[in-house]
Amino acid sequence: MLDEPARILVAAALCWINFVAIDVFFRLPESGGVCGATAIAEEVEKGGGNLHGGFMLGNIVSSPDASAGTLLAACGVYCAGLPGGLFAALLVYIGNRICYDPGYAGTTGAITATFLVFGMTQLGFAATDFIAGMVIAIFTLQGISHVHSSRLIARLWEIRNRLLGEP
Amino acid sequence: MIAIYLCAAIAVYAALRVVTERNTMRKLPFFNVISFAVTAIIVLLLPGPITILAAAAYFVGSTLESNAIASTWAGGMKKP
Repeated sequence: MLDEPARILVAAALCWINFVAIDVFFRLPESGGVCGATAIAEEVEKGGGNLHGGFMLGNIVSSPDASAGTLLAACGVYCAGLPGGLFAALLVYIGNRICYDPGYAGTTGAITATFLVFGMTQLGFAATDFIAGMVIAIFTLQGISHVHSSRLIARLWEIRNRLLGEP
Repeated sequence: MIAIYLCAAIAVYAALRVVTERNTMRKLPFFNVISFAVTAIIVLLLPGPITILAAAAYFVGSTLESNAIASTWAGGMKKP
């Protein structure tokens, strides 16, 4: 079995893939959900980043999206097992409604993360690995360099549009 | 046990980035990282069925706060 640091890194990679895939699929990089998210995107672009990547960073700040769903689902599974994760999905949905967001990305992310975390706990991982992993995952996107992370998201957004057609 | 120290270290680093970043709008993603880390620390310190409610309440509250700061700074209720 893997040591704790290695498990946290694997969990971080899985969380990153889970939340970025769902956010990009639900068109978070397309436009700002609220005017605050648009303003953050414009500032990121002024600093040398990409506007579409900035929209996603702004939307993550302004409303609980799939990243919040993944974190709270991991917390829910840690506190109360599978029902706890699904309860966290409900809380994310309520949070989305408070922030004037339709809530599809956050709720879907929480439900997929619940099954991901619960499945991995059966394979010898701990739910705490996923809680720390999600903090690392959001840190790589929001906490290191907005210029580089926004460009990376813009590249993923282009790939999504090529595969699934222009929005 | 490493998990909680890791979250605390990330929270402190993000707090330093908030202080050193000059642009208000660009502070907010770093603030978001602090919210994630503090939510994780709450759950890791107090495992129990009620904790998920406290963590979700803190997280949604801090997101709403960032949303309010960003939207007010961007010009209130005007459409983008």
